[in-house]
Amino acid sequence: MTKKISVGIADMKIARQEGELITYALGSCIGVAFYDPMIKLGALLHIMLPEKNMSESNVYKFADSGIKETLRKLYAFGAMKGRLVIKIAGGAKMFEMKGPGGLGNIGERNAQNVKRVLAAEGLRVAKEDTGANYARTMSLDVSTGQVYIRSAGKKERML
Amino acid sequence: MAISRYEEMNDMKLDIFKEMGSIGGGNAATALSSMLNARVSMALPRAEILEFNDALARLGDPEIVIAGVLVELTGEIQGIMLFIIPEEFSDEVLFRMLGKTRTALLELDEIESSVLTEIGNIVISSYVTALSSLAGVEVELSVPQLAVNMLGGIMSLPMAMMGQQSDRIMMVTGEFNIDDKALNSGMLLLPDVESLNILMKKLGVD
Repeated sequence: MTKKISVGIADMKIARQEGELITYALGSCIGVAFYDPMIKLGALLHIMLPEKNMSESNVYKFADSGIKETLRKLYAFGAMKGRLVIKIAGGAKMFEMKGPGGLGNIGERNAQNVKRVLAAEGLRVAKEDTGANYARTMSLDVSTGQVYIRSAGKKERML
Repeated sequence: MAISRYEEMNDMKLDIFKEMGSIGGGNAATALSSMLNARVSMALPRAEILEFNDALARLGDPEIVIAGVLVELTGEIQGIMLFIIPEEFSDEVLFRMLGKTRTALLELDEIESSVLTEIGNIVISSYVTALSSLAGVEVELSVPQLAVNMLGGIMSLPMAMMGQQSDRIMMVTGEFNIDDKALNSGMLLLPDVESLNILMKKLGVD
């Protein structure tokens, strides 16, 4: 039994050598898995919105501030940019919203901004499973770097 | 005094929203009752301000599959109303409306989906009608949307909406019982901060 470490909404956890980082039922939110295979260091970030729009807030709620803070910590723990493998999942469109709130495409905007922020940090996404209209539970096995996705009514698959 | 954050709501103010939930929910229970031809009551509603993860934990296992009917509120009150339909509630409704015995939520056909959407629509619109006549506010409702998926995924949309203003969400929740059976359905009213101010002002409590 590997140790499960649960990552909440607007949250990030880091593990080294062993353990399974898991975040449940990503809807329009995005899970970003970071892994440095050389030192078996992994992080799983669960963001909710594309851009930081307020000063006093949880940094992990937003793609931009969340990715920057996660990278800062990973580099402090010895991760090297050139070795990082990044996989993302989520960004679904759970409801067809047509209202003025502009939230209908929040998932898509999240996915775009995650990729944009990563690119600006000189990182690219190795694998992704984003969009569509269903939620995803995402896990990162820190001993192997493998990322698994499960959705309601579908078989678990490796990303 | 107008508030700028959910955290500034005190117990007395939250009680006002609990009362609103009770009036809205009562009206919705009556509508549901005549539609299902059954006795429908509502458990005492709660009005709470919770951090995202606590809010989700309050509603149940994030991976459990539920049906959610969502309506966007615009006008003098902005926010979202979400009616959460777990499988046991759906079974009860589909049995009473269509004589069906059991249908897994992920296997609903078109007719079953539209029955659930309509139930959600009626519950939400009667709730909002009671609320808007009580407070004297004009509220427009969007077309109801049905989604069947993991609870956590369904909740991500209202949370993203609230998340633009706060690290917490305010939920007024209520649960319906059909013929005294508790079926874990959930009625969620999620207003934005500005709407709280409008409602409190209209009701003379600010």
